[in-house]
Order: sequence, then C-alpha cells, then structure tokens
Amino acid sequence: MADFIQLLMNGLALGSVYALAAIGFVIVYSATGVVNFAAGQFVMLGTFAGVATLVNGGWSLPAGYLGALAAMALFGALFYAVVYLPLRNSPAVTMIIGTVAIGITLQNAALLGFGSWPFRLVSPFEGMTVDIAGAVVPVHAIAVVVTTAVLIGLLWLLFNRTTLGIAMRAVAQDLVAARLMGLKVGALLAFTWILAAVLAGVAGLMLGPMWFADVNMGDPIALKAFAATIIGGFGSLPGAIAGGLFVGLTEVLGAAYVSSAYKDLIAFGAMILFLLLRPQGVFGERIQDRG
Amino acid sequence: MRLTRRTLLSLAAATTALSMAVPLRAADAPIVVGATVPTTGPLSLTGKQYFNTLTMAAEDINAAGGINGRPLKLAIEDAGASNSTAVSAFVKLIQDTKPPFAFITSYSTQNLAVAPEVAKAAIPVMYAGGADAVAEGGNSWMFRIRPADSVTARAMVQFLKAKLRAAKPGIVYIQNDFGQGGAQVAAKQLEALGVPVVGTEAYGQNDKDFSAQLLSLRAKGADVILAFVYPADGALLLRQAKMLGLKMPILSSSAAFVPAAMQLLSPGDLDNVWGVVDAFVDPSAGERMKDFATRYKTKFGTDADPYGLAYYDGAMLMADGMRKVGTHPKALRDWLAAVKGWDGVGHVYSFDGKGNGVTDVAVVKAKPGTKTLELLERVKLD
Repeated sequence: MADFIQLLMNGLALGSVYALAAIGFVIVYSATGVVNFAAGQFVMLGTFAGVATLVNGGWSLPAGYLGALAAMALFGALFYAVVYLPLRNSPAVTMIIGTVAIGITLQNAALLGFGSWPFRLVSPFEGMTVDIAGAVVPVHAIAVVVTTAVLIGLLWLLFNRTTLGIAMRAVAQDLVAARLMGLKVGALLAFTWILAAVLAGVAGLMLGPMWFADVNMGDPIALKAFAATIIGGFGSLPGAIAGGLFVGLTEVLGAAYVSSAYKDLIAFGAMILFLLLRPQGVFGERIQDRG
Repeated sequence: MRLTRRTLLSLAAATTALSMAVPLRAADAPIVVGATVPTTGPLSLTGKQYFNTLTMAAEDINAAGGINGRPLKLAIEDAGASNSTAVSAFVKLIQDTKPPFAFITSYSTQNLAVAPEVAKAAIPVMYAGGADAVAEGGNSWMFRIRPADSVTARAMVQFLKAKLRAAKPGIVYIQNDFGQGGAQVAAKQLEALGVPVVGTEAYGQNDKDFSAQLLSLRAKGADVILAFVYPADGALLLRQAKMLGLKMPILSSSAAFVPAAMQLLSPGDLDNVWGVVDAFVDPSAGERMKDFATRYKTKFGTDADPYGLAYYDGAMLMADGMRKVGTHPKALRDWLAAVKGWDGVGHVYSFDGKGNGVTDVAVVKAKPGTKTLELLERVKLD
C-alpha cells in the first residue's frame, strides 16, 4: 500500500506538469488555431529561466521565481510578435514548421548559452518529505500537485469570471466576430501567448528540481503533453488536465504494475486508440459542434 | 600555337619543377584525421569531453613534432543524438576529407549503425561504445578504446559478490544496446555464481521518473541494485533512490560518476553507492594522470572524465602508429591489431582479435560525507 501511495503521488506530480504543458498547448490552439510544437521547449526555457535567476544569478527564491516568470512573459510576447504575427496568415503547415523550427532554435540556443551539462535547480522544499501511510512522499511532489490545482482554479476564474477571459474565449470561438464586436483581438492574442509561456514557465520551474535542468528536456515533455491533449481532447481545458494526469499516472503505475520496458506503449497506445476510435478525445468537441 | 623545340623544353622544365614541388608540399601538408562527435543534443554531455580531449591530443601531438614532421589536423563532424545523424556525419567526413583514420562516438547504438560504413570506407576507426555486439560484428577496422560492457558487468558482479555480499541483487538498466547488454551479462554471471537476480527493470533514455523501477526492486527484496546508466539519468536515479528512502547499496556503471553527473549530486546521494568506472581520472592516480587531469582542467575549466581520457589515449596511440607505419589505412590497421601492452594514461592497451583494447576497470566510492571519489581497487579481467 505504501508503495502504491508513493507511486500515485509521483504519478500525480508528473501528470500535473504534463497537464500544465498540455494546457499551454490547448490555450494557444483554441485562441489561434496553432498547434505549437515548440511547447516542450517553452517548458525547458522556463526551467532555464530559473537556472539563470536562481543558480547563475544567485537570486533569492521569490525573486528568482518572479524574475523567471517575468522573463517567460516577455518571451511569450516576443514569440507572438516575431513568430506568430508574421506567420498568422500562412497555411497551417507553414505555421507548424515555424514552431518546430523555433523549438529547435530554442533548444540549441539554450545549449550554446548554458552548455550541455545539466543543472540542479533547488526546490523550496529541498530534502523535505512527509510520511503518508508508510510512503515517503517528497513535499515538492505535493507542492506540484497543489500548485497545478490552484493554477487550474485561477484559469477557470479567468475564463469564466473575468471580462478578459470571456473576451479571450470570444476570440477563440470566432476571431472575426470578436473583432467586429470591438474586442482588441491583437492584444488578446498576445496575452494568450504570454499566458501559455508563463504556464510553461511554472511547469518548468516545478520540473527543474524533479528532473534536473537539461537543455534536452523539452522533447519528452512535448511528446507526453501532446499525447495528453489528444487523449483529453484537443481544445478542451478539462481534457488537458485529465489527459495530463492520465499520462503521468500511466507512466508511473504502468511501469510498476505492467512493465517498465513497455510503459510508454500504454500511454501512446491509448493515444493511438483515441485517434482511431474517438479522435475528439474524452472532453473534446467534434469539429462540426464548434460551428 | 606552333610547337617549337624551345617551347617543348620549357614545358618539360616546368613539369619537372612542378613534379618536384608537389611531393615537397605533400610532405608538409597536415594529416587530416576524422572524428564524429556528438556536439549537439543529449549525447553532447559526454561528446563535449572527447571533443576537448581530441583537440588537446592534436595540440600535444603537434607540439611534439607532429607525425614525422607533418602536423595533425582534426576534421570533426557532429554525430548528434541519432544513428542516422551519426552515419551521415561519418559518410560526409569520408567524402569530404578522405581521412586515413577516424574516431567515432562513445555510443554503442551509433557505433553499430556506422560499422557498415566503416567497412566500406576501409579505414581504421577507434570507438568507445561499450556494447559487446559492436565487436562481435567482426569488423576488423574497428578498435575499442574503452572496456566492453561485459568487462564492466563482470567486474560489477565480482565486486557485488565478494565485497557487498549480495544474495538477492536487482538490476535497473537504460533500455538500449549498452544497458540491455550489460544487464544480460550481469544476470548471466550472477546466475552462474548461484546468486539469482530477483528483478530486472528497464527505463527509457528520456525517462525522468524511476520510482516505479526502484520501488519494484525493493518490493522484490533486492539487497543490492546494479545500475547500468547514462550520466544525467544515472545521477537522477541515485538521487531518487535516496528520496524514496531506499537503504540497500547501489553499484553503478561508469557514467553516473563522470563530472557532469557528479555535480548534480549531493554527498548524501552518494552514500552507500559504489561505482565501477572505466578509469580513475584523478590527479592522485599517478604522474601522467596528474599531468593530463591538471592540464585538462586548466584548459577547459571542468574535470576530465574517462570517456575523454579514452579518446586522448586513442589519439596518442594512433599517432604512435602513424609515426611507425605511416598513414596507409591497411598498414595502420594491421599495426593497431598487433598492439600489445601499449601504456596509455588511463589503461594499458592490448587489442584482441575482435578489436577490444581495454580489459581493466576501477571500483570507486565517495569518501564519507563528501563527493570526493577514492579508488577502492582496480579489476583486471582476461
């Protein structure tokens, strides 16, 4: 039982990070129609923003986290201006290749800037564990789950209880109509990219102490977040959360109780099954329902 | 144009002068040696080390007069992190520079992929991938400058049985040719010694959470864990083992002890952890090692690791061969194949019929409460 609790907590922590990365995918896709294949590198960049402030800069934890998230917000705005705006009217495939290219550029820029050696990002809860029914659970893992839950709650409030969030949903639903209604579509789209980058930053800062900061960490995150998005439903926020948790739990529990050698087969097998049998995912809407 | 006797004589004189000038230029021209090194992507973690040591070796060789007066020049291509990139890099190297000799990477899967191209190019290469399958391929142009995985695995088993007195070992390994090969050899050796393995767990190259594998081994009653790992995941695995409260000793393969991995660990993470490493790269390991390790650190700002050292020794061995038999690939290959007892900085190299040059490893452990490694013993296997 103790082992199961331990695995469950690790799976939930991992799934929470995948969920945040998947939410970044979904927010951007819903608002702009862009499948951001650089999403994994956004998370990597979030981790390295933390490395820059906390490890290299020697800032205090609160200042380091705030500095890193501010840098990510700036990066989101830059991405909107330099990548999205010039390509927004291009065919979808151009945009996809654009995000892939930016992903590769970001990864190699990080390699040039930070080198190939990984960094150890310290957790605010470094070395702290709690005993839950005999399971030794790192406090950091619990903090990751709680932080993700709080962020999801805040996102729900943003999208359902604030003018800004409702305007963002309007843009996501029908960009032309939103513009005709007088909404500042450009600013709202820019804010969408900023929000996605900040969420990726939070995911990256939480991942750093769990995984080490490594310039190659973006690819596995992107793959898992993509699988989570497909399973949960492309375009659905609850779907991204459920999908992320499913992939995280499958990865850890599948390795423990099915096979450590084939654990990825379970998550990606589920993704393929969804693509074949229910392409809209668990919570996703069918394309015709959107209209 | 009318061809007069004078014109003919002028042409003949010019041709003679040119024919004399060309060999002179060739005698001074640098000898270009190829190297495919992962300088980008996840494998660059160790690739950077041998990029550095190959550069350092070329400088040392040239400072000592080059190859019989001719300078040595390196042509390096990025082998990236995939087999296809490694193959492309090697093919490009051969087509562009036609080197008489090349170094290929320290990753077995890439070595296996490149092996057919090496045979086609018909030039001797040195590699540092550990998988036995590379040498078993029977490619007579390939020479291994690190211990084979079976050597490491056998040394781990010997130490585990004799010193750690394990009765129920468990194995965790990275799921590739290196990890699988090492785990299989270790399991077979343990079985032969009457110490059956209680559990074997795998993880993927991109995995970051090892709790399932570690807890599974604990649940199966493992009293020692053998780990076949790469650097960053090795460090993460050791750290997570401590976070999960695992108390049993862990005996890890070389990569978890390279400086890139060690800087990620705290002294507590290394408590009850032993390592079977290729070579003990520490200034205390003799004058030549001290000179190498000190110069490396001064030049590159980080500590050297056994992978980098293997390529440094390899380059020196290659230069020795070129000085003795020239740069003709076949002559160089035959010379290398006959090398016995060549004294390098890290090892004494003797190539067997399959091109394996190293049969010794070192067992290390961090001094209590520190991350300073100390040499426990050297293990020499036949």
